[in-house]
Amino acid sequence: MAKETLTEVIAVAETESAITKSKTSPLEWVAENGIFVFTALLILASVVFVDGFASLVNITDVFHRAAPIGIVAVGMTFVVISGNYLDLSVVAQVATSAVILIAVSNEYGLPLAMLAALLAAAVFGIVNGVAVGYFKANAVIVTLSTTYIGLGLLRYFSGGSIFFGPPDGLIREFGLGKLGPVPYSALVLLIMTIILGFVLNRTNFGFLVRSFGVNERATRLSGTNTAAVVIGAFLVTAVAAMVAGWVLAAFSNTAVSAMSQGYDFRALAAIIVGGTSVFGGKGSVLRTLVGVIFVSVLTNVLVLSGISFGYQQMALGALIVTAVTVDALSRKVAKR
Amino acid sequence: MSQTMQIGERETSLWGRLRLTIARRTEGRGVVLLAAVLIVVAFTEPLVFTSYQVSLGRIALIGLVALGLTAVILMGELDLSVASTLAVSGVVVALIPDIRLGIIAALVVGVLIGVVNAFFVAIVGINSFIATLGMLFALRGLAFVLSDEAPVKITDVEAGIAFGQPLIGPITPRVLIFILAFIAIQVFVSRVKAGREFFAVGGNRQAAYDAGIPVKRRIFTGFMISGFVAALAGVINTLERTAADPTAGATVLLASFAAAIIGGNYLKGGRGSIVGTLIGATALGVLQVALTLSGVQVPIQQIFIGGILLLAVTTDPANLRAVLGSVRSLRLGRSKLQTPGSGS
Amino acid sequence: MRKSRIGLATAGLLAVAGLTLAGCATADEPAATDSGSTDSSDSATTGGETYEVYALLPQGNDQPYGTTYLPPMEAKAAELGINLTITNSEYDGDKQASECEVAVAAQPDGIILWPALADTIRPCLEAANAAGIPVWITNADVNPEDAPLTYGYSGTDSYGQGAASAEMMCELVDGAEVGIIQINGLTGNSVATLRGNGFKETIAANCPNVTILAEQPGNWNKDESQIAASEMLTAVGVENVQGMYAADDSMIAGGIDALKARGLDPKDFFITSIGNTFLGNPLVISGELDGTVFQSSSWDGENAVVGIYRAMTGDTSLGRDDDGSVLYMPNPKVTIDNATDPSVAPEW
Repeated sequence: MAKETLTEVIAVAETESAITKSKTSPLEWVAENGIFVFTALLILASVVFVDGFASLVNITDVFHRAAPIGIVAVGMTFVVISGNYLDLSVVAQVATSAVILIAVSNEYGLPLAMLAALLAAAVFGIVNGVAVGYFKANAVIVTLSTTYIGLGLLRYFSGGSIFFGPPDGLIREFGLGKLGPVPYSALVLLIMTIILGFVLNRTNFGFLVRSFGVNERATRLSGTNTAAVVIGAFLVTAVAAMVAGWVLAAFSNTAVSAMSQGYDFRALAAIIVGGTSVFGGKGSVLRTLVGVIFVSVLTNVLVLSGISFGYQQMALGALIVTAVTVDALSRKVAKR
Repeated sequence: MSQTMQIGERETSLWGRLRLTIARRTEGRGVVLLAAVLIVVAFTEPLVFTSYQVSLGRIALIGLVALGLTAVILMGELDLSVASTLAVSGVVVALIPDIRLGIIAALVVGVLIGVVNAFFVAIVGINSFIATLGMLFALRGLAFVLSDEAPVKITDVEAGIAFGQPLIGPITPRVLIFILAFIAIQVFVSRVKAGREFFAVGGNRQAAYDAGIPVKRRIFTGFMISGFVAALAGVINTLERTAADPTAGATVLLASFAAAIIGGNYLKGGRGSIVGTLIGATALGVLQVALTLSGVQVPIQQIFIGGILLLAVTTDPANLRAVLGSVRSLRLGRSKLQTPGSGS
Repeated sequence: MRKSRIGLATAGLLAVAGLTLAGCATADEPAATDSGSTDSSDSATTGGETYEVYALLPQGNDQPYGTTYLPPMEAKAAELGINLTITNSEYDGDKQASECEVAVAAQPDGIILWPALADTIRPCLEAANAAGIPVWITNADVNPEDAPLTYGYSGTDSYGQGAASAEMMCELVDGAEVGIIQINGLTGNSVATLRGNGFKETIAANCPNVTILAEQPGNWNKDESQIAASEMLTAVGVENVQGMYAADDSMIAGGIDALKARGLDPKDFFITSIGNTFLGNPLVISGELDGTVFQSSSWDGENAVVGIYRAMTGDTSLGRDDDGSVLYMPNPKVTIDNATDPSVAPEW
């Protein structure tokens, strides 16, 4: 009964946007689908104008760039869509998962290592989820504090040392493996995108996550256990970060607590560029994937062109602002 | 401020009115945390108090940026770019040989950054989180480019070192500027009409528009304050350290937000206070200094600060009431007792 | 409302007043006692005294080097009867400056300082001097004009490490016209900058026949370095590249992996780096890494303590004029000839 009310609310919201969409101005269309077009254009331009971009080796490099951040980003999309801004603790989660994987598998074998990493991810997800979903605390501060706690624990227990996987182990094989120019890590990214996309769009849980982002109050009034929804969103992010940590560890066959620096904002940048709204409700996992590809290609092209780090950062910042300007402008046009 | 409607008996006793006041104020949690920190520290690390100028310096380091940030938070917006503004303005003041000109230029840069931020937020209509996130990256890149990716020494090193010397008693210029900034912003937000309207802009944006408040202008003012204060912090840091660090600002960004939140400012805007930020900055600063003095292993310090932050943010009185409410409703049957959710 | 504001303001003022009074009261006492540190002095020393020393470091358990720097430092300190209070500013210059203020206020017997940023450290040194606290610099030296404010230095010579790596590169290339790619450390980090400059300037001076075709930061990360190296190879064209340099072994390992991923044999390239770490030493033995520079984290940590001890006991005095006020960590070059020598056994 309450669920039907909720469905109505979502339906009304979607109808509204559908009505406005029926008079789609070009700007509107650009905002909605711009990222797909821009990404395609960027790839096209790079193939044509940038020497060496289209080579097999470079395509592999782009995939290597995209994979770990991308996996984190598609997972974190759940948190963003639910209207909870972002999950800063992915930094701690990725490093923890990488260190656990290599350190534990060296002593006790791979299955136990993966289980331990899963356990750590569960703890992160539940702590974050309970604080944000049940205690209704602000997600930015909560995940900031869990980052401190997580990194502190990691450094305390790992002593900050660098861990090495055996040169001929399964982990190394996975890291080196490729299907044509596509490394296994990129395949993992693709699979995760499909699975998470399915969860977000076709399951009840995904529906609740989206509705929570669209209209928090309505979702709560409909009697859903909103705390569970939020916990679920953070758990998804935690599991994604765990997988990303594995992929990262496999790529370099090493693990160290400092290896995941910057993952929080880089993942968020990819999500935003992809068109998911930071306000929640609007967006999709597919968009995040496209955003990741866009950012990875762009960075790759900048390095190929010999651009220094300072200018790279400026370009990334300008990109984020542009992406969102177009989005905001189009929404204004639509309102008229 | 409008008349508050009194339902039920009016409290006339001093104790009763005090209770009501405390219940209404947002700084409650910050005060509790501060009191707890002060008491514990008094027993374990009294050096924090005996060398209070160091603690004041740490509080000023965290708090200055937090003050400007609070002005923006009260309006329901966020300014993530303050970290990079700090770095850029530091580099600017170091690059210009004439110190006075350099300071002016750096402060102007800070205000301009605020204008750009406000432009994207108020005119173009981008969500401030994203707009300032983009600026955070872009300005960081600018700082690297301007400084050629290396620290930049100021030309007049002696003047810089003199700047770090105590001015009145043990109070250094940094602390003095912090106090002045606090007074200025607090007065602005509580007494000046334009400042008071920040709460309205944050509380209910649409109602503020309807009430005739020039919302866009207020947003510009808020971001300009935040940019100016961040630039001020960057100038102070550069002068005191005698060199500009283009990588500076990351730790200050997070600490400033923490200070504002602990002090009771709601990220969604409309509620909070500058005094609260001061309290939050004080609590954090004292805690940090005490932890350093304690000699406890650094990872443990991190766990500790993270834990306190987590505790502080999950025990917001409004949130706790909501949690208790939902626990009660669980027991009495869910659908009957749903109260409209309280925002965080 | 007005009354409540007054009430709150009064309470606030009272609190501040109380704090200030407490501060003033205890400050009036002569600061004869050591810092109220709750650390108990454990081991008895030969002289029977214990010293309180603050170690202001920019890294610790968050980096592999720092992780192996700390235990030898703590062991030496325990042996000499020194109580260490350790900080980690994570390469944030402002944070370290603030920690320095705290350290000076604690009035320890000595300060070990590993500058996060050499350019911003002078105020700290002056404050310590004014308070009569000897300062010993470790790992990364201060600028020459600030050296007279310190009691001495022990540690690496980051610029010299870059130069040593460049010398090895020059020797390997032996006069041929060669193009190389360069992988730098974290942008803006002083060690990265010094090593980068040391390498570039030595190459330019000693073997200008070597051209640096591209440089990108690897951020001390193996995975980032692998991608950066691969992209640089694509950018300048693999056929133009005969050599590679990275500011540390983790990054060069990434670069070597980038070569292998393209089916290239690292042994065909001139490859040098710095560190001789657990990651780098095996690569030297296998011939993939042609040369690296040994950096001993344990030497570093130990001698920091030895240095401050000598400063505190008067064996060295202010300034760098005494014997033994500068202890340079030996920078032995490690090539396949001496890679298995126990004297250069990797430590981190």
